[in-house]
Order: sequence, then structure tokens, then C-alpha cells
Amino acid sequence: MTVAGTADATASQRAAGHRAFRHGVASGDPLPRAVVIWTRVTPTAASTPGSGHGPRVRVHWEVATDERFRHVVRRGSFATGPERDHTVKVDVTGLDPARWYHYRFRWDGHTSRAGRTRTAPAADATPDHLRFGVVSCANLQAGWFSAYRGLAARDDLHAVVHLGDYLYEYGPGQYGYGPDNEDIRKHQPAHEMVSLADYRQRHAQYKTDPDLQDAHAKYPWIVTWDDHEVANDTWKHGAENHTPGHGDGGEGSFKARRARAHRAYDEWMPARLDGSVRIGDGSRLFRRLRFGTLAELSMLDLRTHRSKQVDSPAPPAPWPDGEVSDPTRTITGEQQLDWLEGSLRRHRGVQWKLIGNPVMIAPVNFGDLPDELVNPVNDVTGLLPANGAPYNVDQWDGYTADRRRVFDFIRNHQVKDTVFITGDIHSGWAAELPYDASTYTGQGPSEDETAGVEFVCTSVTSNNLKDITGDPTGATSTAVEETIKANNRHIKYLDFDAHGFSVLDLTPQRAQMDWFIISDRADRDATITWTTSYAAPAGSGRVVSVDHPVGA
Amino acid sequence: MCTPSSVEPVETSAFARGAAQVRTGRRTLLRAGGAGLVFSTVAGAPAVAAAGAGTRKRAYVLVVDGCRPDEISPVLTPNLHALREGGLSFPEAASMWVMETIPNHVMMMTGLRPDRTGVPANEIFDRALGEVRTMDRKRDIRTGTVIGRLNRAGLTTGTVLSKEYLYGVFGDRATHRWEPAPVVPVSGHAPDVFTMDAALTMVDELDPHLVFVNLGDIDRFGHADYTGNDVQLARRTALADTDRQAQRFVDLLRSSGRWEQSMLVVLADHSMDWSRPGDVISLQGALDADPLLAGKVAIADNGGADLLYWTGAAAKRDAAVRRMQRIAEATPGVLAAHDRRKAWLRLGPEAGDVVVFCKAGWRFSEPDPTGNPIPGNHGHPATRAIPFFVSGGHPAVPRRTTSSAQARTIDVAPTVASFFGLGKPRGGYDGRARI
Repeated sequence: MTVAGTADATASQRAAGHRAFRHGVASGDPLPRAVVIWTRVTPTAASTPGSGHGPRVRVHWEVATDERFRHVVRRGSFATGPERDHTVKVDVTGLDPARWYHYRFRWDGHTSRAGRTRTAPAADATPDHLRFGVVSCANLQAGWFSAYRGLAARDDLHAVVHLGDYLYEYGPGQYGYGPDNEDIRKHQPAHEMVSLADYRQRHAQYKTDPDLQDAHAKYPWIVTWDDHEVANDTWKHGAENHTPGHGDGGEGSFKARRARAHRAYDEWMPARLDGSVRIGDGSRLFRRLRFGTLAELSMLDLRTHRSKQVDSPAPPAPWPDGEVSDPTRTITGEQQLDWLEGSLRRHRGVQWKLIGNPVMIAPVNFGDLPDELVNPVNDVTGLLPANGAPYNVDQWDGYTADRRRVFDFIRNHQVKDTVFITGDIHSGWAAELPYDASTYTGQGPSEDETAGVEFVCTSVTSNNLKDITGDPTGATSTAVEETIKANNRHIKYLDFDAHGFSVLDLTPQRAQMDWFIISDRADRDATITWTTSYAAPAGSGRVVSVDHPVGA
Repeated sequence: MCTPSSVEPVETSAFARGAAQVRTGRRTLLRAGGAGLVFSTVAGAPAVAAAGAGTRKRAYVLVVDGCRPDEISPVLTPNLHALREGGLSFPEAASMWVMETIPNHVMMMTGLRPDRTGVPANEIFDRALGEVRTMDRKRDIRTGTVIGRLNRAGLTTGTVLSKEYLYGVFGDRATHRWEPAPVVPVSGHAPDVFTMDAALTMVDELDPHLVFVNLGDIDRFGHADYTGNDVQLARRTALADTDRQAQRFVDLLRSSGRWEQSMLVVLADHSMDWSRPGDVISLQGALDADPLLAGKVAIADNGGADLLYWTGAAAKRDAAVRRMQRIAEATPGVLAAHDRRKAWLRLGPEAGDVVVFCKAGWRFSEPDPTGNPIPGNHGHPATRAIPFFVSGGHPAVPRRTTSSAQARTIDVAPTVASFFGLGKPRGGYDGRARI
């Protein structure tokens, strides 16, 4: 065989391997000595996602300290089949802390692409910095995932944090690009996902996106869900985009639908649900991941346990009374709120208390917006009642008793350096978290004024204000942004118009968030540029503007 | 609660006990400096650190009593801020409960938690005496200190403590001790300018290897500031002045050539909170109204923490503890009421049976709302955060470094011991060396 022939054969084998593992590889939930690795094997042409077809097979995996796999440190095999949609999820243990690893899968002579992952530092380690990519809200129909491409192109992250709306439930034509919902790409299946097969197929479609595949292969991911992993505006017993019942247009039991959505999520995402990689043994997603003494990330689930969103508008005051403040209503559920307080306790010995927070916690008063702009703003959030309530009642603003309890805990225990990192709202924000927004000055002793800070990443592709108003100049958005900042002195930065990703860098001195934006979601080769950075100096509870991103 | 010292018979006050030590010949009085400063020295100790003591290292621990970490800023406290930025700082640093002056100073010098030191709070109910008293007696500390360990290693030590109860509880442990004067009659503390005069003179003329200094003005003006959390004018004034005093200390180290051999630890013993006028908690009445507890609970009021002592039959203690917890936790403003025996508290039996903490913005006032009129307050978890940084020119001190580690007041003794190359005490430290 000629050398050229060998090369051709190798390329052919690689292509075959990529066909067998066409949904890529992923890793996630890094611990000091363990990390989850994931793939999906397609053993036969009939074994399409959600089909329930195909043989049971055994997939081999290996983890090495070098990218050429000369130093394999862990290996094993994993049996999978149609009962779990041919997904493979392994909790690889026995690894060393704070170390890069390379992993891959083999089946029937086919080899997957290699992925790279990294374990967390030891619990008592004192890393000099940590750096995370931060993303949310990736609607495939609304455009290309250039933000994921931007993350994959970097080489300086330790992990990627996804704050929810990893995928969307809608069918083609229902939610896409801009005010006319143009589909840049069409969802599969071509209808709203409701059945288990639907959810599996949709996950599979997203995992064929090359930018998403590259980002998964490059870093471990730490994920939580928001509402669209099930259906829009999910709450404990229902969702805005769910029609109960079995009659015309009925989508059956919500709990059964959510169970299907959670099962597909468990199968297709590199995360530990209920603390394990076993499928179907529980759906608890709130969990902690510690990174030495520098940071601990507490990922919240703000959908599964929450009370129904209020229907009536809240009164125009930052700390409203009324239904949004009803202490019997909850966004976290009692168990998760107790657990969150545990995350904030000093005895954990962690400096930066990061909260992976699917919806905004900073109070936002939209009260003084011009009437003609209230509805577009509501449309961005997608969550306000049509009559234009001055609050986004799907956020913590709609559950102020829980927020008050979290903030009181922080104040009563003098918890320092709490940082909420947030998605959901398709816009970039940097805010301080006032104990009392109505009297907030930003000038007084910080311990008396602020519970911490919040950094909100914008959407990967999902529509924002400019997309909805159709104002290409951004002037409308600028007016809204300035009005909101003027009415909310604790909000220091707001960008309603951009799509992209963020990078969160932590050192003992400060937490800094950089915002990167893409040029156009419809352009597969969209450019990526840095737009702004804000930092929270250690112990300050404040955010300040920074003139360059980390690594620049 | 840093209450003014209670009026005691002359012979039982801390200062009177110090005077007695001089009278009986156990300590020798020295007058030094031009301002009539008075120091006492262990009888027979060298007046100045001997050149042959083995090391030129010097360690200084400067306590800015009651300072909050967010009060150190380039504008208000530029010198402390520069020290913090230039050395090794710990933004997560914490005081230990009960977040009071005496227990945390004791923790600094012992490196041990109160279940080992015997000093859990400023005020305790002394079961032997049958009364609430201040822990200001030397024998209240039932373990060794890093002061004593340095002395035994042939090094010299000095205490410059502005508060009478600190003077009392550390007693004559140090080789050299400032005999505070003048002392503000109401507050029982010496103003920082005099304290710093004494610290400078002690360093300049007696040159101990370790000097432990308490600057009390920030705390005292915090307690006394009736403008509370609105203006805090007096406290800001105190912060600015204490900052100047700290710089005087640094200036001396630099001008005398000591800086390059020095480690300077600057920290607070606790933070400070201000209660609103109506947010006062008095548990005594509710406890006395309970049939089981009536007349059988003593309370040591520590401002942000009430220590409850069951004085009834031992057989009923468990039931009484549960009852006290229930009544306390049902009281507005109470954050938590813990069974003192919980292992994580590590407060020891001197802290009583139930430890009650208030919420931010509240204070305890026993036996009734007139008992504690002071708005500035600490002792509760809302007063845990403290500034804590290590500066100085010695090569062992990291430069311009921030650590994510949660330094605590119990870390001071192990840090000092590590600096001088001393080993650990029997049973080890509860704290950690931070350099």
C-alpha cells in the first residue's frame, strides 16, 4: 500500500468514525478527581435519534493525559442501546485535580473525535485564577452558533457554563430570526417537541451543529436548564406553551411531558442529574461544583419547583407588595432555597460564591418606559403579561419573598463576594444587588447596600430588542437602556441588542466578565468582537467598568 | 458588646491588678519617651531585646478594633489601603464567634478556638460567682499563648492594649506591657493617639520581637455613634485618625531600618453593625414568663449575641435548652438560637447552654430595652467580615498578593509562630499560618 493509500485509508476511517459518532463528544461537571464524558453512537442506519431502533452495543472509552493517547490513564466500556437512545455517559473517576485530559470512544473499529476536558482543582487548592465561558439561549432556528465557535476558538478557558435554553421546543415558523420569525435553519422534528422521540431528535439536531460540537469537545460544560428545554415559561405544574389534556390540540399531562424532556436531557447532556450519570434515577439538577478555595459554582434549577407566574401586573415599586411578594410562592422551592443558603455559608471556605442563575435576580423597574416600548421590551424577555406590567414576573422580580430571603441571608451572615451569573433575558447586564433598590445610592458602605453582583450574558442567537423592534440603528434600544439605568441606579451596564458569549475570569482580587458579540446571526461566518467588560473587586459588592478583556 | 467597663472596686479592676503586680515586685516600672509613658517589664527581663536573641525578625500585630473591610479605602484610610494593596490580603477574612473583642484577641494570640482557650465572649455568666462578668482576668485564658511561647524561646514580647479588659485578660504575659494612660473614663479605653505613642516608644526603646497593639477608637466611636448607619460621622473621623496612627507606626519601622526585617499583621477583631432604634431584642421577660424557665435562666448580653445559662436542675437541662431555643427563635430580630453543645460552635461551657444571634440591624438589650442603649453593635454573624492583611518588608511577606483563603483571627498566632520558626503547641493550632 502506498503512503498516499495509507493516508486515504486513515481519512476514510476517521470519516467512518465520525459517522458512527456523528453527534460529537462532550464532557462536563468537573470535580477534582472525576469528570463526565459523553457521546452518542449510531450503530446502524436505522438507529436514528428517537427512533427506538438499533442494536445494543458496547462502546469503549479511554482517557489520556496527552492528545495522542500515548498515556492512557483510564479506560473502560459502556453498554448502550435504544432504551437510552444510544447515548453513552460515563463518570470517569480516579483522575488528578486541575489537569487537562483527552478522551475518545471506540465502537466496532470506529473511533470518535477526541475531546479535551479538565478536572477541577482540589478542594483546598488556591488557584490564581479560573476562567469560564458563559452562554445561554441558543435558538437554532434564529441563526448560526457563532458564539459557540468563539468559545471553541479560545484556548484559555477552564470550562463553559450554560445557563439554560440550550435548545427550544418550537417548530419551524414559530420562533426564529427577527420580528417575522424567519427560520435560518429549521428545527427537527418539524413541529413542537412534545414526545420523548421529539425531545431526543431535537437534542440530536443541536448536537450536529459543528460549532456546538467544537465547543463541547474543547471544554467541560456545566449546564442547567431554563424553560425551553421543556416548554416556554415552565413552572412546577405547567407551562405557557403547554396545552393540557388529550383533546384537539392537547399535549397530554404536563408532568409526563416534563419527565420526557428531563429524560432526554439526562441522556444527551454531560451532566450529573441527582448526582449520578445513570439515566432515570432522578432529575435534581441543582448542584455545586467547587474550584479550590477560589470559587464554588452553585447551579440552580428555577423551573422544576417554582410556583406559577403571576397573571396580574405588579405595582410600580422596586419592592412591591401583592401577589409577587406572596411568601407562599416560590421560585426555588424550599429544599433548593435551604440548599442555596448552604452554598453561601462561610464555613465552606470559598471566596467567590458563584450562582448559576437561569433568570435575573437584580430588581428591574421598567415603570417609566414609554408605553410604545413596553411591549417590545416584554417581547425580548418574552415573559411579561401583554398589558405591560412594570416587572418581569418570570424572574426573581416575580418571586420577591424568595429573593428577600436570599438577600437577608447574605446580609445576616455578612457573606462576601456573591456573584450571580445569569442568562434567559437575551441581553447583557452588569448590576449590583441592592438590599433596597428604592434607597440605593451606590455610594454608601457596600455591606449595608448590596448583597453582591450579577453578570448576565446575552443570547447565543435568541431574539433581542433590536430584532423585535426592527430598528437597525439600535436607537430605540439605547433609549430603553438609558431609561432603565436611570430608574435603577444599581444597574451599571445594559445591552439589549447584541448576541454572543461572555467570559468570566476570577482571581482573588476580582471577578471580571467580558462580553463578546457577533455581527449577524444569519451569517455563518459572523465576526466576533469584544464589546465591554465589568469587574467586581473582591469584597466590594460593586461593579466597575474595565477597559479591556482578560488576556488582551 | 464592648460596653464600658463596669464600676468595680479599685482592687479588682484590671488596672488595679496591674498596679499590684508592680507593688509586689513581679513587674518593674519603666518610664520611657518624652510624654511620660509608663511600661512595666517582667522582673529580671532585659530592658531591650538582646542582640544575641538569635533573630533580627520583628512581628507586629496591629488590631484596628471593629473596622469593617469595606471601610478601608483610598480616600478614607489611604495608608491602611496602601498597606493592604502592597502586601498579602485576604478579602474573605472572618472573625470567629462570638464576634467580640476579648475572645477574638485571645484567639489571635493563642491560635485556638474558645473551647480550648476558655474565652468565648466578652461577657459570661460566671456560675461560680453567680453573676455576669467581663472576661478580663488573666486566668480566664486557660491555655498558652504565642506570647508565652516566644518568651520561652528567649525572645521578647510587648503588649500595647488600649482597652482595660484586654489589658486585664492578657495580664503580665508579655515581657513589656504598656500601662495605659490616659484612659477615657466612660469607655475604658485609651485614645489611639496615646496608644500609638506608646507603641512607637515601645518599639523604639524596648524593641520587642513581637508587639501586639489594639487601636480602639474605631470600635468605640462606632458604638457611641448615635448617627448610626446614616452618617457615621464620628466613626469616619476615627477611621481617618486611626489610619494616620497606623502610618506613624509604618514610618517608624521604615525610618529606624526595622521595616526590612518586619512582618506587620493588620486586622480587626470583628466588624460592626448598627441597629435601628426600635430593633431591640430582650429575651429575659419572655424566658421568665415560661413556667419551666422562670427565674432559672441567666443571660450574658454580648450585644449581637445573648448567651443563655440554665441555672436549674441538671436533669431538666435538655428540656430547658429546647424551650429556650423555641422562645428565642420566635422572637422578632433573632437570627438563630443554637444549642451551645453543637460541635461546630466550639464555644465551650463558659458560653452557657444556648447561644442566640440577632439579625443584621438588631441588638440585644437585657434585661429590658433600656439595658443596652448603644446602637453600634457586634457579636452576631453580620459582623464576621474583617480586614486582614500581612505587610512589612521581610522577604517572607508576599508582595501585592491577594489570597482566596478564608483567613481568621485564629490564624495570627500560627502565622507569628511560623515567622519565628516556632513549632506547634500541644494539640496543634486551630488556625493556620498564612505566610
